Amino acid sequence: MVGVEYLAMTDEEQAFEHGGKCRWQAHRGRYRECVVGSFAECVLHFDMDAFFVEVERRRDPSLRGVPVIVGGIGPRGVVASASYEARRRGVRSAMPTAHARRQAPSARFIPPDHSAYRDASREVFEVIETFTPLVEQLSVDEAFLDISGLRLHYDSVEDVGSSLRSAIKEATGLPASVGIATSKLIAKLASEEAKPDGMFIVRAGTETAFLHPKDVGELWHVGQATRARLEELGIVTIGDLASFPLDTLRRRLGPTMGAMLSDLAAAHDPRPVVSGGGAKSISVEQTYETDIDDPAVLERELLKHADLLSRRLRSAGMAGTTVTLKVRLADFDTLTRSETGSATSSAHDLFEAGKRLLERSGVGDRPIRLLGVGMTGLEPIDAPKQLDIGGPGWSEVDDAVAKVRDRFGDGSVGPARLVDPPKCQDS
Amino acid sequence: MRIRAERDDLADVLSRAARAVGARSALPILSGLLIEVVGKTLRVTGTDLEVTIRTELEVEVLEEGRTVIPARLATEAVRKLPSGAVVLQAGEGEVEITGGGPRFRFRELSVADYPKVAEPDLEGAVTVDGAAFAAALGQVSVAASTDDARPILTGVFFESEAGALRLVATDSYRLAVRNVPSVTAELAGLVPVRALKELGRTIGADELKVAMGTREATFASARGTLTTRLIEGTFPNYRQLIPDSYPNRLTVSRDSLLESIDRASLVAEDHIPVRMHLQDGGMELSVTRQDVGGETEHVEGVYVGDEMTIAFNSRYLGDGVTVLDGDEVVLEVVDPLKPGVLRGSGEDFLYLLMPVRL
Repeated sequence: MVGVEYLAMTDEEQAFEHGGKCRWQAHRGRYRECVVGSFAECVLHFDMDAFFVEVERRRDPSLRGVPVIVGGIGPRGVVASASYEARRRGVRSAMPTAHARRQAPSARFIPPDHSAYRDASREVFEVIETFTPLVEQLSVDEAFLDISGLRLHYDSVEDVGSSLRSAIKEATGLPASVGIATSKLIAKLASEEAKPDGMFIVRAGTETAFLHPKDVGELWHVGQATRARLEELGIVTIGDLASFPLDTLRRRLGPTMGAMLSDLAAAHDPRPVVSGGGAKSISVEQTYETDIDDPAVLERELLKHADLLSRRLRSAGMAGTTVTLKVRLADFDTLTRSETGSATSSAHDLFEAGKRLLERSGVGDRPIRLLGVGMTGLEPIDAPKQLDIGGPGWSEVDDAVAKVRDRFGDGSVGPARLVDPPKCQDS
Repeated sequence: MRIRAERDDLADVLSRAARAVGARSALPILSGLLIEVVGKTLRVTGTDLEVTIRTELEVEVLEEGRTVIPARLATEAVRKLPSGAVVLQAGEGEVEITGGGPRFRFRELSVADYPKVAEPDLEGAVTVDGAAFAAALGQVSVAASTDDARPILTGVFFESEAGALRLVATDSYRLAVRNVPSVTAELAGLVPVRALKELGRTIGADELKVAMGTREATFASARGTLTTRLIEGTFPNYRQLIPDSYPNRLTVSRDSLLESIDRASLVAEDHIPVRMHLQDGGMELSVTRQDVGGETEHVEGVYVGDEMTIAFNSRYLGDGVTVLDGDEVVLEVVDPLKPGVLRGSGEDFLYLLMPVRL
């Protein structure tokens, strides 16, 4: 297998055009000229504090100062957001609400009102856009900003950070935490450090000192499974990982993952802030070392892609309306087919659509070298959704699977067909 | 083959049969109309192999015979002739249409190539009141899907309920159920809505015969016959979807609700839901569209139940209210995530629609 790609196409030009009302716009000419003299720490990550809770508090001040938990009230509800008072009592996001009730019996429980949170999110991002159009939105309440261009208006990154925080507070009444650093990796960890309602700056040159004492689980791409494997190698902190021999790491985790983690542990994260209103498409594709000529194997690969794509859509908080299948035959002939339906992020829907598209592509049993599945027409997963008479069906299954995976790792549960057959002793 | 007929009569039988001819046929021969002249009768057949329409006209027969004429050209040519007698004749690879001076000549299509279309099978047919049947079909057809990706949903399901005919259609977002108590017959089959929509325009009449075979349905009137292939597959089990009881019930004037939906639709377009805040004295209907604006209004009525906000697709809602009969509309709901049901004055029609989750 050669690399699974994550493609997130964006439209930077649009973001530039979109910057109509921002401070930056007035200085557009100067911004373009100004390449030298930007801040050393030019990535800002902001993250709203207990966002849903604070939105609720804004409209009901009696919620201030007491433990508040926003979450599903039903028997299977989970905590969506907990105030810091509740967190001090051990309540965490994604914890079953029933469990949270035991931890914090005095807390006020409120069912989520996503349309209110979306509106509040829009208010926040309207403020953000007055600072810079270079915003990479990660979810309703967090984003990366490239602040290098703000050198002209602010003397220091502290100024940028505190102006941003007070502008958000002033316009929306909501608290935000800000982390500023030389890369996305460090900026995100810095904003964690800043919480609640604070700011934390990691100066250029001090990244590893900041990073190394932290648990490896804090690194991007380190889920429960990877963390467990690292622990077997005696790696607990990011510092342990940084000093671990790269060769061994590559052998144990695979060349791609090993090299990537090693880079991250060395605070090396060159990913730029990519603006433009989020991903326009999310897709998964894979080129196979040997061509696939068995329809059963192909279907299994399709299921694997559908499962992975569904996971990525969910983690991006998106659902899409158009499923596209891409097949490259052994002779490099490439076929794409697509189908549009109601918005989904369900692995089952993606797989069924993929099978129909595969049928339509007329590939038959010709050997193929590449298979890809992508989703466009993306919209937030919590956008208004026309319900189907047939009921929620597979999306409920997917929700349950996602919850189990969040807790026990990606390998904990999945389609039976993707489980490797048990190894026989004599094989 | 050679006949003489009044221009208007001839244009009528040709154009009605031509409605079965697809705009782009896979087979060139299907762009033609089969003309058969026997005894005193001119018989016209158009088909796309799914739907076949036959019309007949008594004409002055000058010479019996058969031909296949290009459907659109010949129909339009007859229409464009001066009013009065028209002569249609074919032979030696040419179709000639003349009347009052002008003379059209078209290339004849091959009779031998014309597909064998089975004769309409009216065995076991029941006779229904044409107008009432058309009205019932009109009420359910709005709920059928036009998306060929799910063929089962592009049909109207005919079945028997308590010995009488019941018509059902759904596109998975809404469901329309219409009982036709005046038709006491066992008819069962899934009929393409596309064919049913042609029914009124092609062979609509006061009296209609309906026959349902295992593979085809046939409709016949004094004006001709329409035969359609049935859709294969199992229609969804819709009965379980209809809630047993509704704790909340809104009664409003049909006209004022239609006007409100129409106003809201100006802003809503297709994908923006219309919100209904149900409360004592009626409801607040509102729509908000980001970057555009919105509309709000109060619709007076009687509401019995818990105060709540439920949202629907404006088109699905408007379709349902439009096809209801009576001056008042009743909307029954359970909660904002369960289907709502619209009823008019009659007991025989129900329109269920799924809300939009906000």
